[in-house]
Amino acid sequence: MLKAETSLGIIFFPAFDWAISPTHPEREERLLYTQDQLREEGIFDIEGIGEYKPDVASVEDVERVHFCFPDVDAVATRSHMISAGGAMKAAELVMSGERRRAFAMTRPPGHHAMKVVHGSRGFCNINIEAVMIESIREKYGHKRIAIVDTDCHHGDGTQDIYWHDPDTLFISLHQDGRTLYPGTGFPQDMGGPTALGRTLNIPLPPNTSDEGFLMAVERVVLPILKDFKPDLVINSAGQDNHFTDPITNMNFSAQGYAAMNEMLAPDIAVLEGGYSIQGALPYVNLGICLAMAGLDYSHVREPNYEPERIRQDQRTTDYINKLCDVLPELYFNPPPFQGGDRDGQGVISGDVFTRRKNIYYDTDGISENQQETLHLCDQCRGVYKVETSSSSNPLSLGVEIPWNACPHCRELGHRLVEEAQLKGGGYRYIQLINRKDREYLRYGF
Amino acid sequence: MLLGIDVGGTHTDAVAVKVDQDGARVIASCKVPTRHHDLMWSIDTALDAILEQVDRNQVSQLNLSTTLSTNAIVEGKIEDVGVLVSAGPGIDPHNFMPCRDFHVIDGSVDHRGNEIRALSREQLDQALASCRKNGVRVFAVVGKFSTRNPRHENAMRRAACACDDDARCEAADFVTSGHQLGGALNFPRRIATAYFNCAVWRLFNEFADAGEASLREKGLGDVTVNILKADGGTMPLSQSRTLPVQSIFSGPAASVMGIVALTDIFHDSVILDIGGTTTDIAVFADGAPLIERDGIHIGSHPTSVNALKVRSIGLGGDSAVSIIGDEVAVGPNRLGPPVSLGGERLTLTDCLNFQGACEVGDTAASKQAVERFAEAHTMPADALADRAVEYAARKIHDETRALVDEINSKPVYTIHELLEGKRVVPRKLYLMGGPAQALRDPVFHQFKLSTEVPPNYGVANAVGAALTRTTWELELFADTQRHVLFIPSLSYRENVPSGYDLDAAREDAVNQLVMQLDSLGVRLNAEDAKITHASSFNMIDGYERAGRNIRVKCQVRPGVSATLAKEA
Ligand SMILES: [Zn+2]
Ligand SMILES: [Zn+2]
Ligand SMILES: [Zn+2]
Repeated sequence: MLKAETSLGIIFFPAFDWAISPTHPEREERLLYTQDQLREEGIFDIEGIGEYKPDVASVEDVERVHFCFPDVDAVATRSHMISAGGAMKAAELVMSGERRRAFAMTRPPGHHAMKVVHGSRGFCNINIEAVMIESIREKYGHKRIAIVDTDCHHGDGTQDIYWHDPDTLFISLHQDGRTLYPGTGFPQDMGGPTALGRTLNIPLPPNTSDEGFLMAVERVVLPILKDFKPDLVINSAGQDNHFTDPITNMNFSAQGYAAMNEMLAPDIAVLEGGYSIQGALPYVNLGICLAMAGLDYSHVREPNYEPERIRQDQRTTDYINKLCDVLPELYFNPPPFQGGDRDGQGVISGDVFTRRKNIYYDTDGISENQQETLHLCDQCRGVYKVETSSSSNPLSLGVEIPWNACPHCRELGHRLVEEAQLKGGGYRYIQLINRKDREYLRYGF
Repeated sequence: MLLGIDVGGTHTDAVAVKVDQDGARVIASCKVPTRHHDLMWSIDTALDAILEQVDRNQVSQLNLSTTLSTNAIVEGKIEDVGVLVSAGPGIDPHNFMPCRDFHVIDGSVDHRGNEIRALSREQLDQALASCRKNGVRVFAVVGKFSTRNPRHENAMRRAACACDDDARCEAADFVTSGHQLGGALNFPRRIATAYFNCAVWRLFNEFADAGEASLREKGLGDVTVNILKADGGTMPLSQSRTLPVQSIFSGPAASVMGIVALTDIFHDSVILDIGGTTTDIAVFADGAPLIERDGIHIGSHPTSVNALKVRSIGLGGDSAVSIIGDEVAVGPNRLGPPVSLGGERLTLTDCLNFQGACEVGDTAASKQAVERFAEAHTMPADALADRAVEYAARKIHDETRALVDEINSKPVYTIHELLEGKRVVPRKLYLMGGPAQALRDPVFHQFKLSTEVPPNYGVANAVGAALTRTTWELELFADTQRHVLFIPSLSYRENVPSGYDLDAAREDAVNQLVMQLDSLGVRLNAEDAKITHASSFNMIDGYERAGRNIRVKCQVRPGVSATLAKEA
């Protein structure tokens, strides 16, 4: 009988009754063959591996993270709440010690969902990793957390949520934004002025294969993780780097994914994208499950796997080599904050940081304009404020008081909300996230 | 008239039951000792005792629950099996090797049933030559995803048994194909199940031969004979000859079905069969017993053999009383019979005797034993007895709660199931077994639920055996892109058009189930065939709909053919 070396909890929630549209890549069939493969392999009979059902995230779990306009119910379906709840269940299994590791294979995904939500971007409405992470911090204290996003698309939503958080390290490996949605994720994006180097982007050229991915993990990700010393490592596990994925151009294999997972040794993995539902997902997800459980994955192979045919060329290897030389410096010795409104980095004036953003929600066709402000404070993380309007919502306001707010900033946060209410008419909706006192308020509904 | 025989660990119980429009009535019953090394003797003796009390010409059916296969496996009296597998990519199949003559043959079929790589003929021939050199006469052939496409299993079967029909042949005496064991996905379980099916095949068939001969001698040659399964149903004897593994662990099922026959269960309920050494806990949802989701373990091997969900805990009337720290504990060990029956260690039954809750054997001996034990631990005798009984009731309560929680936390796969999913909330308790009546009040105090001890509970297991119906299930899998419909357990394959849909699949599943049972001589009302799972997924190629992937599961659920007539 097989026994897992590292105990593993698997939360499998294929949402067999939910889809964006019948032929959309993010549809009911997506995890069907993964389920078939896992069942046929008898993975849940392995000693130390257990299957769990997801929790359901509450509105408060989402409001702890996001400013949703007009409200959570308007932007998130039940399926989204369960998907986030699946990630929360994974966290709970690990934090409570019931399992050493956990893998939430839920859908829909979440890593394109940003701090402010007006609708769906890149098939994502709420950021399931962020909802999970903040539920951990709410219950178990303010942990240092590293997120390694290995989805083929830049994890722009997660990056946005943690842009100003020095306690969350966000590393995204992805296909170069010049060749793929969402077109972001470049090395110069290193985080806001109070969290410089806590965001690290590793854009890889199209056709990168196992060799390139594993090199980047080995030479860039692992040394940084070692230095950051996170309490938890989370893998945003998108499986769309696979050589058969229909919407991307990379050449990663199931063996590569399993090996990468073995190197990262995440405490929690959360499924993100991956749309080669027949040729990749069953094998990649199986390989990851085995690797997470510390079991032999060497017999896991795609039916049409020919390593020679998908091997990256020398130019690609040389290019990634160079990236690996320079990228770690951005974390270890980030250049001082330069700012500049034109390149989207924002500007500091006095003790206020300001940044303007235009965001397009491709799945729902919504355009959003926002201006975010961070009141810099040397006692705490500082009060965050965002003014936003979109083609589906008039001008609205979000204010966040950080978990470690000093009395002054706590006061400031409340004042900003009060003034906005008194002004009247200025903002259609106002939301307050008060992490200090765990109070989540909405006005104007 | 229906006969039921339950070959248990200590006793073989038999009953004759008469069924009319008012329900069933037990008209004869007996208990004889079980001779483990001569089960036929126990069955014969029990049968003779019953036939002395009834008119044998009235007997129409005999249902038999036997420990034969279980014992053979536990005692290692099993035959060498040649196990041939086609695994393809995934977990290394050598992890699931059940025996020496185990051979992995190159080849692979994927989750949709496409052959990705043909079976290696050369390796297959070598494997068979090796088995034959070792004198192997029975073979299990198992392919990964064979329940989607049995091509590799069929090829291995043909190679192992060099003829096409089921007639005896030179090359092999018996071959089990994995897909015929059921349509569920689980390759390691399929390997183990096929292996055990082969390993007990010869012994079981010798037993069946002897049983049929004995019935003919008694003039019961025309009686329908069914064998009990662990899922709370029966299968015809002819069927059991090729599926002997299904007869394993049918004992608890007979008890549970007994309760079903003796009472009218409508609600979510808990059944407690409190025996000498153990208590079996079963859970009913809306009046129907719950099934183990994947199948039972045989030794350390998980199998695909269906079973009622029954949890056994080490606590019964014979369980020894002990003091651990400040706590009076009962079980989990049995260290001999109660003092009242000549034992040496104080037991739960002795404590119940002391309380006056029952009168088993020499109650004065129980009283003395409780007093001696209490004195040795400097506590009042009545407190000791009370605390022991309370401990037992609490233990049963806690274990039952844990089982119900486990059932309610089982994974579900749709939003609907998760948000509106049924939770099992027990509303009633049914107690059976020796100490049932005596423990009724203490158990009630723990659960605070209506608690019933039905009459006739002494012969409940044999009554259950007698009245248990035939169960059957099948899984239908259709892929309209590949234009194929496949029912693994029947090896039934048919071409379907692109327009084939879920409704048609539901209908086909029910029809095939009814026809299959009909061919086994079992008449089924179509409404007894229940669809328990039905799903249809659109398969997309690019952005075009390429077909539907349809899965339907249909079953005749466990049940009894009649319940006991109410006493007038
Ligand atoms: Zn992606
Ligand atoms: Zn402050
Ligand atoms: Zn033959």
